[in-house]
Amino acid sequence: MIGGIAQFQLMMWAASTAAGVFVLVLLAVRKNYRAYPAFTFYIFVNLAQAILLFSMFRRWGYLSRASWLFGWGTQAVTVCARALAVAEICRHVLSRYTGIWALAQRLLLLCAGLVLLYSGLAARHQWQLAFPSADRGLELSIAAVIVLLFLFARYYGVRAERTDRSLAIGLCLYSCFRALNDTILERYLYGYDTLWTILGMLAFFASLVLWSWALRKPRTEIAAEENLLPLGVYQSITPQINLRLRLLNDQLCQIWKPEVTRH
Amino acid sequence: MSLSLFLLFGFVGILLLGLGWALWEPRERRKLQTDPRSLDEDGERHVTYLPQIRQALSPMDFDFLLKSASRELQRRVRLERLGVALAYLSAVRADFHRLLRTARVIAVLSPEVAAVHELERLRLTAKFAWQYKMIRWKLLAGFAPVPQLDGLSNLVSGLSVRMEAAMKELGERAAAAAKLASSVNRRGLDVV
Repeated sequence: MIGGIAQFQLMMWAASTAAGVFVLVLLAVRKNYRAYPAFTFYIFVNLAQAILLFSMFRRWGYLSRASWLFGWGTQAVTVCARALAVAEICRHVLSRYTGIWALAQRLLLLCAGLVLLYSGLAARHQWQLAFPSADRGLELSIAAVIVLLFLFARYYGVRAERTDRSLAIGLCLYSCFRALNDTILERYLYGYDTLWTILGMLAFFASLVLWSWALRKPRTEIAAEENLLPLGVYQSITPQINLRLRLLNDQLCQIWKPEVTRH
Repeated sequence: MSLSLFLLFGFVGILLLGLGWALWEPRERRKLQTDPRSLDEDGERHVTYLPQIRQALSPMDFDFLLKSASRELQRRVRLERLGVALAYLSAVRADFHRLLRTARVIAVLSPEVAAVHELERLRLTAKFAWQYKMIRWKLLAGFAPVPQLDGLSNLVSGLSVRMEAAMKELGERAAAAAKLASSVNRRGLDVV
């Protein structure tokens, strides 16, 4: 044991750090850092956090108050870096289509805000649980934004590039897992601490494996912007189509409730 | 397990289901659908068969059968009319989806979209899906009078003709815009 950390935890830590270094190397070798600067920054921040935490735990012990505060402080930076990486993936998927990208930005921000608000309201209002609650809110927002992004892309028939998909899946699954883990930690704070750390490490390790697989090839370059239609086309055709859809709906409504139309 | 914990687990479960559904791609969807040429691919609409459908759903035919044909024949005709009605309903849905696809492609390829129009279309899509399912079940259960579907034919035939005109107009505008852009570029100007 080092600083109160069990042997298995140390092994997991080493494996996660090695996998993180591998992802960073892949980003550099395949030149994917050009396409994913925010994601590269996130992986770098994660590695830096792991090294800093390890030295902190060795010096002050795993269960000390200083380590706890430092751990959550660095976690705040890491979650913000992850949010930036998610924003980058959203941009990759939709920014070529300027019209729907502007709409998606508003919707995604609204969704993130609402989920954060819900998490804040649902949290237990105790100061020692403030960090896990805030972390859970941010993780849930990240996961919700990724899901909404893919729903949006599906609705409009926009295909996400393979690497973007895999990175987003890894980020979403990890965020979902962390949100659940934080919730259980919030409820059973004292008895769950060690298991919480191990499960968190396992989930992160699984995400790193997925990202390594996704980044094994350079990202295929996509044209920066689609050839867009003139502005007037949308303004003149879309209201007409909506009107026709409404008429079609009205006709179905008449079949559904025939007595309404009888004179 | 407390209610808030249950809600949170439920929310995460919904997120994961949503992610799985959004990422799942049926084979026919596996090509980018933002190409305007894809709108012309399946030009044949169910309106081509409109006279036959009208004939099949005509109440006069069925009244005549009620008076002169055997019960077995009446039953068979009723089943066949139900089959025609269901097929027709599917065709109406196909037309609805064709309109939707047009609207989506235009939205994707537009430099600006209005949230109001997009949200309205989403609402109409959900409403149509709900009504379609309800009518289908109603027809299968024998609660919907089949001839009432006839009213739809007039609407859909009108729609198809007007949509064709709109698409033609769209194509002409896009071609004119492309021509204008290329002539401006040739003169070394920047299109803002």
